[in-house]
Amino acid sequence: MSRAEHPFPWLAITLHWHNMFLTRIACVLSLLCLAACDRLPESYPPPEQRKPVAGLDPVADSRAMLVSMDSSAADLLIVKDIYGGSGIPWRWTKQEPTVRVPLLSTENLKFSTDFALWDDGFKVTGPLEISFLVNGKLLDKVRYDTPGDKHFEKPVPADWLAGNNEATVALSIDKLYTAPKDGAKFGVILTRLGLKP
Amino acid sequence: MIDVIPILFSALFTLATAWSLGMLLLRGLALSFYVWEQRLCAFVVGSACLSEIMFALSATHLVHRGVLLVLGLAIIGYAAYSGAFRSQGKAFAPLAPLWRWTFMAVFAAFTWYSFFNALAPEHSSDGMAYHLSEVLIYRQAHGFPLITNDVYANLSQGIELLFLFAFDFGRHSAATLVHYSFLIALAFLVLCYGRRIGRPAVGVAGAIVTYTCPVLLRDATVAYIDVALAAVLFALFYLLQIWDESRDSKLLIPIGVLAGFGYAVKYTAFLAVPYAVGFVAWKVWRAHKPLLRPVITVALLAAVMILPWMAKNRIEVANPLSPLANHIFPNPYVHISFEEEWRSYLSTYGIPSGWQIPLELTVKGGQLGGFLGPLFLLTPLALLALRFREGRQLLFAGLLFVCTYFSNIGTRFLIPMVPFVSLALALAVANLPWLLFVMLAANMVLCWPDMYLTYCTPGAWRVEGIPVEAALRIQPEDEYLSQDPDYKIVRMMGRVVPPGNVIFAIGQGGRSYLPRELLTGYQSAANEVKQDILWTGVVAGYQPVRTLRFDFPPRAFRKLRVVLKGREPKDQWSMAELRVYDGLRELPRDPAWRLTAHPNPWDVQLAFDNSPVTRWRSWQPASPGMYVEVDFPSPQRATSVVVESSYDKVNGEIALEGMGTDGQWTTVSDHPAASLHPIRTNLRRAATAELKARGIGYVWIRPGDPDADDFFRYPAAWGLVLAGQEGGGRLYRIQ
Repeated sequence: MSRAEHPFPWLAITLHWHNMFLTRIACVLSLLCLAACDRLPESYPPPEQRKPVAGLDPVADSRAMLVSMDSSAADLLIVKDIYGGSGIPWRWTKQEPTVRVPLLSTENLKFSTDFALWDDGFKVTGPLEISFLVNGKLLDKVRYDTPGDKHFEKPVPADWLAGNNEATVALSIDKLYTAPKDGAKFGVILTRLGLKP
Repeated sequence: MIDVIPILFSALFTLATAWSLGMLLLRGLALSFYVWEQRLCAFVVGSACLSEIMFALSATHLVHRGVLLVLGLAIIGYAAYSGAFRSQGKAFAPLAPLWRWTFMAVFAAFTWYSFFNALAPEHSSDGMAYHLSEVLIYRQAHGFPLITNDVYANLSQGIELLFLFAFDFGRHSAATLVHYSFLIALAFLVLCYGRRIGRPAVGVAGAIVTYTCPVLLRDATVAYIDVALAAVLFALFYLLQIWDESRDSKLLIPIGVLAGFGYAVKYTAFLAVPYAVGFVAWKVWRAHKPLLRPVITVALLAAVMILPWMAKNRIEVANPLSPLANHIFPNPYVHISFEEEWRSYLSTYGIPSGWQIPLELTVKGGQLGGFLGPLFLLTPLALLALRFREGRQLLFAGLLFVCTYFSNIGTRFLIPMVPFVSLALALAVANLPWLLFVMLAANMVLCWPDMYLTYCTPGAWRVEGIPVEAALRIQPEDEYLSQDPDYKIVRMMGRVVPPGNVIFAIGQGGRSYLPRELLTGYQSAANEVKQDILWTGVVAGYQPVRTLRFDFPPRAFRKLRVVLKGREPKDQWSMAELRVYDGLRELPRDPAWRLTAHPNPWDVQLAFDNSPVTRWRSWQPASPGMYVEVDFPSPQRATSVVVESSYDKVNGEIALEGMGTDGQWTTVSDHPAASLHPIRTNLRRAATAELKARGIGYVWIRPGDPDADDFFRYPAAWGLVLAGQEGGGRLYRIQ
């Protein structure tokens, strides 16, 4: 078929020259590729220096490591023996209320808890002995002879926490109050439990 | 329902533009075809041309609605003006009534099912995560922006560029319809092939088996690319067969274009080039004709389709084959370890025994992402087709195109083989028409979507139901899409995260509906570093608890380097900090120092930034000879070097080498004193602060993510504030 007879004469001409055209395209593309072959840098100056990880912030960090029973996140941090509840600042416990807390440091931390011994229950159980545990280790044991609000705080040895990202903090109550109606067991009324700087 | 109009318009406009281009080319070449095969091949070849034009527009940032409209109208208009649509060529002999009605009935029934699935709002996993999310990015940037933090943007995207053409007018569903059109083209091409070889019943059977194949039906009705690839490869095969008959050298032009377009659609189709070149060379050589010209024509045209993608990757991410071949083209954008882990996973999908694969592929479909249908259990029967020349051609091509299958054993990766095996199976029993019909009838029943659950795994990837109301937008798009958890998540993110903020996630999400930047942990080297930083906040094994100290008599050095002596194929070498001391005083890190490392020099600063949550890593298996080096601007007196690293065994197998004022490297010490220093501070907040310094404003954590519970329990310790939650996952803002 001659060019004149071709339905698309422009294409016939193009076809005639297509080899040359393709060669040109190949050359242009090769040049483009070569132009792109600049090397990435392989040595660098020292970067901006980061400041050492900041020490503990007494306010912000005590919030992170101390579990408040009115917190919406408390359920995620409770390991066992704390009754469910929401909208009130305290919860009943069972025998060994335990929470899991993040360790923002392993040094200069104190076990801290606020709880109450219920008057009516205390009349039944009598004086209570409560053990304070960190990662299963006994930090202290205290005998409470009176009901009412209690606060306990004591430094935790750093080597009990070293190498961990989180710690379990627990109370262990020697005697429980048993509700006469349904036999449910109750320990203390817990407001806060955890660690603080 | 009026919302469907722009979707249908944009899909049809895209298809018409592609078809017009193809008709212009094929008619311009004055090739001899049957009418229907010319139309179908024109669509596939025209798609390749339109994709190439879209590449040029994207590279020059000219992807604007007006430009596309004018371009499309001009191409369609010129084709109509020049008479390119006028039918020429011969018509096939009419089909026998039995086969004609069988084909029409099955085609109509399955089209009813598949068309509405394709038209329904698009919410496929990969479609939302990358096929269309990249398209959305290109549309917003009016072309290719520089993307270095997403490996999927480095893959060839020939079909995605057709999606881009359609997306600008009809968004997601228009793109899906474009993909669906390739299934129709493929089925009719298979039918035409049977008629061309004088076996119309084989063509009908092959077309039906292909069109009804469950994984093709599913894949074609979402914004994936596999069915389009199958159509391209089959069209290539078809054109080569025609060329073999006619030896019309002008056919080599569309052949070359399609051979290269295969690669432009998906890397795994690179074999189309040696296939086409080899086929032409073999036939010409056997005919004792000049070899060079036809071979060069095919190879050069294929190169024209391939090289733009290679050049784009070379320019943007320093690796023409990215995200593969990072050993050959080491670069800061994709880690070698990522490529190895990716390959390793994709070659097994976690399936414990290879014996499970045939059943998974054909019937079960739960673990490999879809199933081919029970008929494909008869694939060995296709070998009977070897007695025919056409059978040998079909089986050779089918086998060649799935040579790469074992690099990714997902069912989708067998889709290119389906039309070839379908035809070969039909050919194998072609001399027994009653058996062919029985086989076909059984296949139609078994592949009817309502029958799938009688044999496949319940969670298998498949079409489910006919969403007519959603397709016609009688059911609002948002309401329909809200059934998809991924869609709900990105909608929540879109509401909560202000524009301009970047979200970091461990796993991929439905980015095609997210008008924010979402970086996924594994999808680039930089993202993997961010993920490493985040996990160092909580994973003890990543934290720099070990100090290795090299003490030596005072000496002046021009360079110091810590060299790895050990080898650990399953571990990487890492270094959190490298410190140089003169006596008790740490040498301040002078801006004039030059730091480097081998391999991965691009991250070397992470070992010199004083941050306990960042570290230089080899990002490939640890091997002797790797090093981290400091080059001092002038000779520097030193008495010790300290390396801080995690407690991996291989990190301890190091030596210190120094270059003295004489310019000679010597080993200074190969016995560092090791000591352990448990982390005594909270690294979580340091990790999120580091992410924030890298431009991340939000972190998205899902329940299955590693250490997700730690984020959920202790957001305050991470310095995170809950910003939103959806489907069990939580979106945190970094304070």
